[in-house]
Amino acid sequence: MSFISLVVKNPFRNKTRSSLAIVGIAIGIMVIVALGMITGGLKTSTQSTLKAGSAEITVIQAGSSGSGGFGSGSINQSRVADVQKLSGVKDAAGTLRASYDLQGSNSSSSSGSPGGGLPSMGFSITGINSDKLSLAGVDSVNGTAFTNGSVNEIIVGKTAAQDLNKTVGDTVNLYGKDFKITGIFETGSFMTDSGAFMSLETLQNLTNNQNKVSSIAVKINDNANTTEVSKTIQDAYPNELNTTTAAAQESRINQGLSFIDTASWAISLLAIFIGGVGVINTMIMSVYERTREIGVLKAVGWKDRRILGMILGESIVLTLIAAVVGTVVAVVGVEVLLSVSTFGTVIQPSFSLDIFLRAFGVAFLVGIIGGLYPAYRASRLAPTEALRYE
Amino acid sequence: MNNGNNIIEIRNLKKSYDKGKINALNGLDLEIKKGEFVSIMGPSGSGKSTLLNMIGALDRGDEGSIEVAGVDLMHKSSLNEFRSTEIGFVFQMHNLIPNLTVLENVEIPMYETKLSSKEMHQRALELLKSVNLEDKIDQNPTKLSGGERQRVAIARALVNHPSIILADEPTGALDSKTGDIILSLLKELHQKERVTLVMVTHEPYVAQMAGRIINVLDGRIESSNLT
Repeated sequence: MSFISLVVKNPFRNKTRSSLAIVGIAIGIMVIVALGMITGGLKTSTQSTLKAGSAEITVIQAGSSGSGGFGSGSINQSRVADVQKLSGVKDAAGTLRASYDLQGSNSSSSSGSPGGGLPSMGFSITGINSDKLSLAGVDSVNGTAFTNGSVNEIIVGKTAAQDLNKTVGDTVNLYGKDFKITGIFETGSFMTDSGAFMSLETLQNLTNNQNKVSSIAVKINDNANTTEVSKTIQDAYPNELNTTTAAAQESRINQGLSFIDTASWAISLLAIFIGGVGVINTMIMSVYERTREIGVLKAVGWKDRRILGMILGESIVLTLIAAVVGTVVAVVGVEVLLSVSTFGTVIQPSFSLDIFLRAFGVAFLVGIIGGLYPAYRASRLAPTEALRYE
Repeated sequence: MNNGNNIIEIRNLKKSYDKGKINALNGLDLEIKKGEFVSIMGPSGSGKSTLLNMIGALDRGDEGSIEVAGVDLMHKSSLNEFRSTEIGFVFQMHNLIPNLTVLENVEIPMYETKLSSKEMHQRALELLKSVNLEDKIDQNPTKLSGGERQRVAIARALVNHPSIILADEPTGALDSKTGDIILSLLKELHQKERVTLVMVTHEPYVAQMAGRIINVLDGRIESSNLT
């Protein structure tokens, strides 16, 4: 039997104690992996949401928040053409956003970014001219886009189509009317893909927001500066319009994600600490029980270094097994949780290598930290005293 | 200092414990020839186990000199290699590792050698055959009788071809019949392997098996008689 086989075999002498130690560390690893998968998924979704749409600036009514509080369309539609004429603006699209409860058939309109929403939280419908869909991030449609002014055509996001179990040619009842799904789109943004787009005029009529939009998506010229164009818009309509840029949104979201990252690392550190204490306890007990055996190993000529390596190796074996168990439980747990909850539609768990490397790195570190003292203690035992140990 | 025939030469060896309150060895002198079978007798606390530990390099003396297999044990910095290559221990309580098989227990001393796993396996197997345990190699030691366990311990002691076997009450935990079998085996292996055998015992009958009986009293050699 090789030395490595011996090291792998030894921790299972006391199966109950080793299993308990493994469970303790596995819980920590499971938290690290599950959090990593979810936050990683959130990051990816958020980044694709930000990247969706070619509009660099979103114009909203002055006094409303940048992310868009719910309310009726509050910007006069004529402002869309006014904004388009401003220096540095390449294109502008007025959008009206409404939320429709498919079960309760209630609706409200909102301001904010185009597209988006959760079916369970209200089905999000955005009104926009079909030739401006690219400003909302819809570059291609499987099927065809709706016709401007059409009163019964709609395109739905891929996630929404899956949730509603609809495909091209099917109808969906909104505001008491049947809308034919002419196309299905996919932007990569979970928010946009969970909603639908229809003609701006139709949505305005359905929600009694004639000639009103809730926001204006602005694409700037290639050589223009986002901040400068943003300032131009605000200066032109100081008490009426406000702007928010994709960069500012990204910065805010990045702050939030960095907080989640820090929290995730803090949990990792806590797992290292708690797991480390558990491993120290397990390994010290193991060394105590095997004192005489360690004396025998010294008597037959084992070097202190080999005894240190054996105990440290056993500690690492325990924590790496815990890493495998914790990772498997986390992956299965997250998948099951997302499949049975509504979050499954908005979060695609991340399977980034970085998460698993972090989990196994933490486990390895816990193994080293937890095993170091017991291993040192074992290696320093005087052979005669160890052999006398009862 | 070493006489070519002596494998163990001890001069004026002193060892005390508990900050000098207990004098285990009190200026002990001893010579043992290569290939000799020696029994060490003496009452409890006379210093015989301490002497065995000194010869086996498990502990160091405070004063005097001790040379075993040509190695100055008072001054050699690391004694692990010496123990691995020159000494084989047989303990009263066998001290086998319970979660390992019989074969794996015998392989344990070979981890510090440069032998491959296959060579280790082969060597352990040969020795287990020589102690008639070839049919028990995959068994757990806890499933063996006391005599069988001691035979495994003897195989383990011999596995690195040591110059000296140190046996501390090897029959102390066995019934007389099994004890006789173990003693015969030790004697046979001593002759076959031409290994020096130093055995601590309380039993005069057991001590008679050796070529020479050394009596230890108060940390000194009281008498040394050929049998």
